[in-house]
Amino acid sequence: MPPKQKNELYKESARKKDVRTSNIEAAKAVADAVRTSLGPRGMDKMVAAPNGEVIITNDGATILQKMTVTQPAAKMLVELSKSQDVVAGDGTTSVVVICGALLKKCQELLEKGVHPTIISDSFSKAAAKACEILESIAIPVNMEDREALIRAANTSLSSKVVSQYSSLLSPMAVDAVLRVMDPARPNMLDLRDIKVVSKVGGTIDDSEMVDGLVFDQKAAKSAGGPTRMEDAKIGLIQFQISPPKTDIENNVIVSDYNQMDRVYKEERNYILSVVKKIKASGCNVLLIQKSILRDAVTDLSLHYLAKAKIMVVRDIERDEIELISKTLGCLPIAHVDNMKPEKLGAAKLVEEVEVGKGRVVKITGIENKGRTATVLLRGSNKMVLEEADRSLHDALCVIRCLVNKRFLIAGGSSPEVQMSMQLAHWSKTLQGMEAFCVRAFAEALEVVPYTLAENAGLNPINIVTELRRMHAAGQKYAGINVKKGTITDMLEENVVQPLLVTTSAVTLATECVRMILKIDDIVPTR
Amino acid sequence: MSQQSGILQQGATEERGENARMASFVGAVAVADLVKSTLGPKGMDKILQSMGRGQEVTITNDGATILKSIYVDNPAAKVLVDISKVQDDEVGDGTTSVVVFAGELLREAEQLVNQKVHPMTIIAGYREACDCARSVLESISFNHQADPVLFRADLLNIAKTTLSSKILTVDKEHFANLAVDAILRLKGSGNLEAIHVIKKTGGTLQESFLDEGFILDKKIGVGQPKRIEDARILVANTPMDTDKIKIYGARVRVDSMAKVADIEAAEKEKMRAKVRKIIDHGINCFINRQLIYNLPEEMFADAGVMAIEHADFDGIERLALVLGGEIVSTFDDPETVKLGRCKMIEEIMIGEDRLIHFSGVALGEACTIVLRGASTHILDEAERSLHDALCVLKETVADARVVFGGGWPEIRMAKAVEELASRTPGKKAMAMEAFARALRALPTTICDNAGLDSAEIVANLKAAHGADADSRMGVDVVRGEAGDMAELGIYESFRVRQQVLLSGTEASEIILRVDDIIKCAPRRRG
Repeated sequence: MPPKQKNELYKESARKKDVRTSNIEAAKAVADAVRTSLGPRGMDKMVAAPNGEVIITNDGATILQKMTVTQPAAKMLVELSKSQDVVAGDGTTSVVVICGALLKKCQELLEKGVHPTIISDSFSKAAAKACEILESIAIPVNMEDREALIRAANTSLSSKVVSQYSSLLSPMAVDAVLRVMDPARPNMLDLRDIKVVSKVGGTIDDSEMVDGLVFDQKAAKSAGGPTRMEDAKIGLIQFQISPPKTDIENNVIVSDYNQMDRVYKEERNYILSVVKKIKASGCNVLLIQKSILRDAVTDLSLHYLAKAKIMVVRDIERDEIELISKTLGCLPIAHVDNMKPEKLGAAKLVEEVEVGKGRVVKITGIENKGRTATVLLRGSNKMVLEEADRSLHDALCVIRCLVNKRFLIAGGSSPEVQMSMQLAHWSKTLQGMEAFCVRAFAEALEVVPYTLAENAGLNPINIVTELRRMHAAGQKYAGINVKKGTITDMLEENVVQPLLVTTSAVTLATECVRMILKIDDIVPTR
Repeated sequence: MSQQSGILQQGATEERGENARMASFVGAVAVADLVKSTLGPKGMDKILQSMGRGQEVTITNDGATILKSIYVDNPAAKVLVDISKVQDDEVGDGTTSVVVFAGELLREAEQLVNQKVHPMTIIAGYREACDCARSVLESISFNHQADPVLFRADLLNIAKTTLSSKILTVDKEHFANLAVDAILRLKGSGNLEAIHVIKKTGGTLQESFLDEGFILDKKIGVGQPKRIEDARILVANTPMDTDKIKIYGARVRVDSMAKVADIEAAEKEKMRAKVRKIIDHGINCFINRQLIYNLPEEMFADAGVMAIEHADFDGIERLALVLGGEIVSTFDDPETVKLGRCKMIEEIMIGEDRLIHFSGVALGEACTIVLRGASTHILDEAERSLHDALCVLKETVADARVVFGGGWPEIRMAKAVEELASRTPGKKAMAMEAFARALRALPTTICDNAGLDSAEIVANLKAAHGADADSRMGVDVVRGEAGDMAELGIYESFRVRQQVLLSGTEASEIILRVDDIIKCAPRRRG
């Protein structure tokens, strides 16, 4: 190598700086994109997918996922919001906004010549301290206290399109989670036990929680089968009621007309015998699993089933089987010979009801109902409905967070201001660079009240300084009341959120920032 | 300059003498510089951006991973990539150190060549220096294997040192404990297969945990027991959909539908017989690599057997190992089959997913480490780091000799080599001095990466070791000065250091010997 080493070293470090700056810039750009959707007065985004589909949403995770970014650091922010979705289900926008603010501070620190690893270490300490602070201001919540849970769900829903329906959706979310939760093993809570069926038509007001099960499908009635059945015995079958098909290839050889007639007759007899066996078991409602290998039902078998007064719901997906069998207390039946009364589920009423333009099948009055819940969502158009679905999911997650970690904190950005204040205070006890970085961390957290105020059309500087003053005066639950446009005590306004949402937002954002800081090069590979 | 010679095929190039040597020096030094910035506790990470489809992004600090994925077109650079790979296979850590060391040796050699020292003389000097350094390294290592408490402390320190340069650095205490616990469970068998790592996004790194037993990321069939005590497990790899006749073109010809139905019934009966045979093994849990269809699933449910389908190949091999069973694909004689056993099988929840947990397994050494983290990037890097730590610990359990870290062995070796040089007549001594300088380049790089004044610190270290032959001073990156390595608990495995020394020297020797590069003509395409 030529002996111009000094020069080269200089160039090298210049490049490193570029890589870091460009990473931070890209990540900040992503954060800015979702910033305006934060809070109750946050705006929605319209995302047009390449296939022409349009999504309107306020949910940070969804926006980012649809944005298809390519820059590696920007991708990390998308991942970040995704994992917040997994952990807490809510706060997917806040986490990205906090991350963006932290990165902005990092850039300032880097320009001042602070080594990235020092920033990284101090931030992680600050994040740990921030969580401590949050825990110290948290209020324990009792699972029996339905009102408190509903308030938390309300806060989560308040930023969504469907916020005016929160009085309907929040109790629904709370009841659904409480029904699914096993009091003995609350940590086994699985939100997949809650089935959400969305149907276009009507308004969100018409949504309801069904005490039972709802199927999106219609009852098969092409052959005039029944669409309403009282005292139902429900069979969940995984076999097919259609002409037999073997795994090995087969040819039926027909040499003359008589034989053809015979084959036809045999087919009918075969199906008839299957239907008879089903009837004999006492079953009067059949749920039939979708089959790819051969037709699950044919017109002929539907005809016989209709004659036998058996109601049929077809095209049940295989992944729904578990939920159905849990709800109805029935076992899936994979062969007609196993049609036994003890495998059937019982319900008071199975009926097809008209919902808006479409129809759904409702099963109510189930005996021995398992720990599942069903919510029927209605909305005037597909986009509203999808957004309602996402919002409900967020609300469900909020309740789940509370089940896992039974603490509430005040909303309306009051915890962020409190953290920022106490961290700034704490930084004075530290020494050197660390104190400087923790201070920057504290300042970055103020982005949440700032953005919240900005999105609500308030004067952000006024609001933030006023908040600081009130928190310094000891009002630790003071937050922005977006509806009134002032600062009030959040607990009195019933604006509360789970502790887990905020702690995980802070820790995840910090983890992501530290990762971005540590990168000094982008190497193309195969 | 490359020359076209008449002898070689058209398109082939040849570089000779000084040019060849220059080309390989430049290539090797460039590669070493690429990974140099990742060395040490304050080393930086790199983004590896895949240019292929999907544009996947990897973020890593691991030298071997970086070098494995980059494009290299220089033959000498390939040698360095190779030694890093070998280092990874042999000892699992020090993959960056070895490349940086080899790069430094070559940089020094280049200057010697410019001073008209013959490459062979350099090689001879390097060899003697290497022998000397090696014997010093052996003499300064220490061994605590006899004392389990001290040995555990050593292992813990080694794990912490390895992890300190990786993403896990903040939680290194936690992960060092995880890794040491996992390795000690192996009881010296060194079978890393028995340590299973599961990655689940969500949560923070701190929430990662070690679980005794085995966790399988699969689902239990519908209607089957979700919890089994004293499980007898059959691990199998057999089709449970249909036993097809695998002769091409086999088909049956029939003349009536009833016969088709008969064949179908016969096929079903065959499957039933198979399931009965399996159940006759006296099992209560059946794990299959392939699909389990609805019919057998129902039969297992009826028999109260837990059936798990689709356990991937890695999964079942490990399961069979851990549970002490064999993988079976025929079920004719139940007596000879070795069943797997464990105390308890149950479902657990991690994040949003349900997994199956086997506890009290036959192979007592087996355990599972569940990694949690904000994004897949973090998790992947965490897995690589943990793997490095496990490899190093495994080596240390096999060869319990330990040395201090933080550049301590390098300074000691450099000192000894310099003394040797002062006694050696002739040009070889120059090579030895160069070797000593290259050794010192490692602590220098560690300092540089941390943004410290490397010249000052390394000079201090040199002085400290010169004054006191038993000095334990090394680079204390946190405080930015020379520090006592024993007090700081910075330990490294002897094997890793030895391997770095030997492979680094060998690689530089190979490259030094080159005086001619012939590039074959590229193969014609199209």
